[in-house]
Amino acid sequence: MNASSKRKTIDTILKIVLAGVVFTLPLWMTSPTYLQILILLFFYAYLTTCWNLVGGFAGVLPLGHSAYVGIGAYTSTVLFMTYGLSPWLGMFVGGIIAAIVGLIIGIPTLKLRGAYFALSTMAFGEGVRVLVENTMKIGPFEINGPRGISVPLKVGTPMENLFNYQFVDKLPYYYIILILLCIAIFITWFVSRIRPGYYIIAGGEEPEAAQALGINVARYKEMFMALSCFLTAFAGTFYAQLNLYFFPKGILSLDFSFELAFIALIGGRGTIAGPVIGALLLRPVGEFSRIYLSAVLPGLHLVIYGLVLILVMLFQPRGLVEPLTRFYNWILDKLSGERKEVKA
Amino acid sequence: MEKPGPFKEPGLPRPNKNEVTMDVIIQAIINGILTGSYYGLAALGLTLVFGVIKVINFAHGSLLMVGMFAAYWIVMLTGWHPYAALILVVPMLFIFGYALQGIVIKPILEAQRDVREPTEVIIVTTGVWYILDNLALMSFGAQYRVVQTSMSGQIFMLGDYIFPKAQTYGLITTIVTSGLLLWFLKYTKMGKSIRAASLDRDAASLMGINQYRVYNIAFGIGAAIAGIVGCVLIPFYYVFPSVGVVFDVKCFIIVVLGGLGSIPGALIGGLIIGLIESLFAQYMASTWTELIVYVVFLAVLFIRPAGLFGEKRDW
Amino acid sequence: MAYLEINNVSKHFGGLKAVDEVSIKIEKGQIYGLIGPNGAGKSTLFNCVAGTYAPTSGTILYKGEDITGSKPWNVCKRKIARTFQIVKPFQSKSVLYNTMVGAFINTANTSEAKDRAMEVLKRFQLGNKWNILAKNLTIADRKRLEIARAMATEPEMFLMDESMAGLRPNEVDETLDEIRKIRDSGVTIFMIEHIMRAIMSVSDKITVIQFGKKIMDGTPQEVSKDERVIKAYLGESYGAA
Repeated sequence: MNASSKRKTIDTILKIVLAGVVFTLPLWMTSPTYLQILILLFFYAYLTTCWNLVGGFAGVLPLGHSAYVGIGAYTSTVLFMTYGLSPWLGMFVGGIIAAIVGLIIGIPTLKLRGAYFALSTMAFGEGVRVLVENTMKIGPFEINGPRGISVPLKVGTPMENLFNYQFVDKLPYYYIILILLCIAIFITWFVSRIRPGYYIIAGGEEPEAAQALGINVARYKEMFMALSCFLTAFAGTFYAQLNLYFFPKGILSLDFSFELAFIALIGGRGTIAGPVIGALLLRPVGEFSRIYLSAVLPGLHLVIYGLVLILVMLFQPRGLVEPLTRFYNWILDKLSGERKEVKA
Repeated sequence: MEKPGPFKEPGLPRPNKNEVTMDVIIQAIINGILTGSYYGLAALGLTLVFGVIKVINFAHGSLLMVGMFAAYWIVMLTGWHPYAALILVVPMLFIFGYALQGIVIKPILEAQRDVREPTEVIIVTTGVWYILDNLALMSFGAQYRVVQTSMSGQIFMLGDYIFPKAQTYGLITTIVTSGLLLWFLKYTKMGKSIRAASLDRDAASLMGINQYRVYNIAFGIGAAIAGIVGCVLIPFYYVFPSVGVVFDVKCFIIVVLGGLGSIPGALIGGLIIGLIESLFAQYMASTWTELIVYVVFLAVLFIRPAGLFGEKRDW
Repeated sequence: MAYLEINNVSKHFGGLKAVDEVSIKIEKGQIYGLIGPNGAGKSTLFNCVAGTYAPTSGTILYKGEDITGSKPWNVCKRKIARTFQIVKPFQSKSVLYNTMVGAFINTANTSEAKDRAMEVLKRFQLGNKWNILAKNLTIADRKRLEIARAMATEPEMFLMDESMAGLRPNEVDETLDEIRKIRDSGVTIFMIEHIMRAIMSVSDKITVIQFGKKIMDGTPQEVSKDERVIKAYLGESYGAA
C-alpha cells in the first residue's frame, strides 16, 4: 500500500505544480504576444473539450460545431448592442439558444448512422453560415451579413469593464478562458463518473447492447448534444469580447468546425485529457507555421494537420493521449521507484 | 470557400425580375439539366465508392480538383482538346485513386474489420482532402485559371434556346460514362466482383474475390470518373485549388438524395440539384439557392435517409 | 394466464414471412427452449419480444400486460433481459465497466452499481477478471460476460440467444450449470440453442419452428420423438454438441 500511495502522492504533486504554473504564468511571462497565443490555445482546448462531450462520449462525429460558437457570439453581442445587456448574461442566453438549436438538429440526426450524422452536421453548419451571410437584420438586431459585427468598444472603470466583459489588457481574458477550461474539464470528468456518462459511452460503442440494458440511447445522445452546444456557445461570447470583431466566414466556417474535430481526434476523443492535449500539440504547430511559413507557403499548416491526422488514425486511432499516458506512467514509475500493475 | 461557379452563365438576358416568362423557365430547365448532368457525373464516383467499400470519401472533391488540374495542365502543355486529354487523364487518375485507397484507406479497413462503417475512414479521407487541396495551393497558387478551347463561348441553338457547346458535350459524356459503368458492372467479371463485394464483403471474399483488390479498383474507377469530370469541366469552369470543396458538399447531398450506392440515384440526384439551383436562381440570389439545397438535403435525411433509390436500412 | 404469452405473432419483411403466426406460452420459473433449423426465424421472434422489431401482427403479453412493440430499453425496464447471438461487449471497457452498465438500471449511484456488478461477476466466475478489457477476453469469457452483464439488470425473465455457440463441451456443461442456477434464483428463461444435447437436457418445454411457423411444442422427450421435427432436422444428427 505504501508504494502505490507514494506514486499517487507524486501524481498529485505533479498535477498541483502544473496547475500552479498555469495559473501563475502571466505573472512572470508578460509578453502580450505569447499571452495571446496561450489564450487562443486554451480557447481551442475549451472548445474541443466541449466538442468531446458529443464527439467523444456519444461516439458520433459532429462536423458543424462552429455554428454554436457563432450562435453564442452573435446572441450576446446583438443583445449587448441593442439592449445593453451585459455579455455575461448574453452568454447564458446564447448558450440556451445553442442548446435548443442543437436539440432541434440533434433529435432527427442523432438517429442516423455515423456518416450520415456527420454529413448532416456539415450541411447544418454551412446552412447557418449561408443564412447569416445573407441576413442584414433580424427584427431590431443588426446582423450585418458577410461583413460581420464589430463589438462596440466600451472601456471605462474596472467595474464597467467587468460588466461589459471588455478589458484593456490581456490578463483578465487569460484567466477567464482558463477558468472556463477548468470548468469544462471538470464537467467532463464528473459526467464520466456518473450514470449518464456510462450510459452514453455504452450507447456510443454498442447501441443495440446498450438498448437491451435499458438505455434509451437517443435520449442520452440528445442530452449530451444540448450540453455540448450550451457550453460551446460560451466560447463564442468569449471570442467576441476578446477580438471585438467576428464575421461569418471566420466564426461559422467549415474549416473551424473541422479543426475542432481534428484536434479532439488527434488528441484522443472520449478521454478527458485528449482534447486538451490535442490542442496543446496542434495549435502551436498551426500558429507557428502560419506565422512563419504562410507568406512563403500558404496552406502548409493544413497539410501538416492533414498528415498528422492520417498518421494518427493509422497508428494510434485512439489518439495521442494513449502513448502520452503510458509515457507519463513511465515517469511516475521512475519517480516513485516501483512498477504499477499494468492494465491488460 | 467561395463558389464563383462557371464563368459563363448561359441564359437569356432578363431585364426585369418580375418577367419570369415561359421562355425563361424553359431555358432555366435546360440549364438545370446541363448543370445537373455534370453534378451527377461528379457524384458517380462517390456513390460507387460508397456502395462498394461502404466508406464516405471526404476527399472526393479533392479528387475532382486533381482531375481538373490534370486536365488543365495537359491541355495547357500539349494544346490538345480537353476530350483528347481524357486518354492521359483517366489512367492517371485511376492509378492515383488505386494507390490512395491502397495506402491510406486499406490499412484502416483491415484494422477495423468488424466495424461496418468505421469513422476513422471519414477522418483519414478528410486528412487527404486537406493535404491535396493545400498541396495544390502551395504548388499552383490560389488564382483562378481558365483554359481557352475551341468550345469556349460556343453555343448550339435549338429554337430560341441556348445550349452551350461545352456543357452539352458534358451531358453526352455523362450519359456515355454512366452507360459504360453500368455495362461494366453488369457484364464484366470485375464488375460482377465489385457488385458481389458491395452486397456482402465477407461472402464475396469466401467466393475467392480479393476484397481489397476490388476496393482498389472501385476507388480507381471513382477517381477515373473524377478525371473525366475534370476534362468536361475545364472548358467552362474555373480551376483553382479549393474548387473541390464546392463539389464535395454538393456531391454528398446528391448521393444522399439519390441513395448511397445507386448509380441512377446519383444521376437523378444531380439533375434534381441542378434544376433546383437553376430554377430558384430566377427568383433569388444564388447565395439563397445554396441554402435551399442544404434545406432539401436535411429534409431528405430526416424523411427518407435512404434516398430515392437507396436500400432501406436502419439509417 | 402464462408468464410470457406470444400470441399469433408474425413478422414480415416485405414479402418474406420471417415469423408466421407463432404462439408460445411460457410459465413462470420454466426454462423454455426454442429450436429450429437455421433461418427458421428464431432470432427474429426473440427480437420481437425484446423490442428490436415490432411484430407485424399478434400480441405479446408479459405478466398480463401488453408489451407488443415496446422499445428495447422499456422491455429491459420491465425486467426482461436478453443476450445476443453475436456477443456485443463494450470492447474498449473493462469487464467491470460492462457489468456496471447493466447494474445502473436499478441504481443511479456509481459505487452501488460497482458493488452490485462485482457481486454478479463473482457469481459468474469473472470476479478476478474485473479489470480486463472486454476485447481481450476469450470467447468463453465473453459469453459469460454477456450473461453476467444482462443478469446485472436483475431481470425476472431472461432471453438467451445461443449462449453456447462456439463453446467446447466442458464449457457448454459449465454454462448449463449456470443456466440452472439462474433459474433456481427465480428467473424464467427463454432460450434459443442449436446444441441439441444442451437444450434437451435443460429445458422444461420446447417449441420447434421451421420457415417461421411452429411445427410443434412439447417436452424434450416428445420433441425428440416427433416425426415432423426429425424431418425438419434431416441431415442434422441429434446429439451434435
